[in-house]
Amino acid sequence: MSGAEIKVLYFAQVAELTRTRQEVWPLATPISGRDWLIQLESRYPQLAPVARLKLAVNQYHIAPQHLIRPGDEVAVFEPVTGG
Amino acid sequence: MVIIQETDFSAADLLAQLRGRHAAGAIVTFTGYVRDYARDTTTQTLFLEHYPGMCEREIESICATAQARWQALDTLVVHRVGHLQHKEQIVFVAVAGAHRSNAFRACEYIIDALKTRAPFWKRETLESGESFWVQQQSADADKTALWDAPSTAPPP
Repeated sequence: MSGAEIKVLYFAQVAELTRTRQEVWPLATPISGRDWLIQLESRYPQLAPVARLKLAVNQYHIAPQHLIRPGDEVAVFEPVTGG
Repeated sequence: MVIIQETDFSAADLLAQLRGRHAAGAIVTFTGYVRDYARDTTTQTLFLEHYPGMCEREIESICATAQARWQALDTLVVHRVGHLQHKEQIVFVAVAGAHRSNAFRACEYIIDALKTRAPFWKRETLESGESFWVQQQSADADKTALWDAPSTAPPP
């Protein structure tokens, strides 16, 4: 992956709604998780409302203000239901 | 140790492994099963999806926190993924410690934190054939948050 992209992973219900499990998005400059989710919603309106969705960056849960940077692996999912 | 697997497990064998590794005064275990999630209808099957890599790392981190906070000698978590039938085992948590009270607390903390942090998702299929993704219970999130709230946390 080049330096101006992110790898995006979708899980469970989110993967069903986007009909894909993995794709590469262009990202030239850092963006907060909250702002990136708004971009996600414009690409996949069926995910609305996106405020309920959780993000992990490089396999760590992040808060909405955390910055996503070029080269990151970003995972998008519903609140988890294991156990 | 954290193991994610599709196959079933023997809780007795896992307990024996843990006993073999330590001279613990107490081992507390928790086993979770596929239950009826809806009130008025029977769950036929569950499908469990996970995020490989993050799942193991997140549970390792939860166990490390529990081990440090309650001086546990060792922890073991086995979690199944894939297709599970009604009443089958889903998850096993074991904590070995010198004394029972710390081992009880560490075990409860691990399963509480796992339910709100480890990236697993359950898809439930009812006897009627209806299928849907299970929603996280707010009670689970509230209970996990209690462990980190100094004024309301269970006694150390």
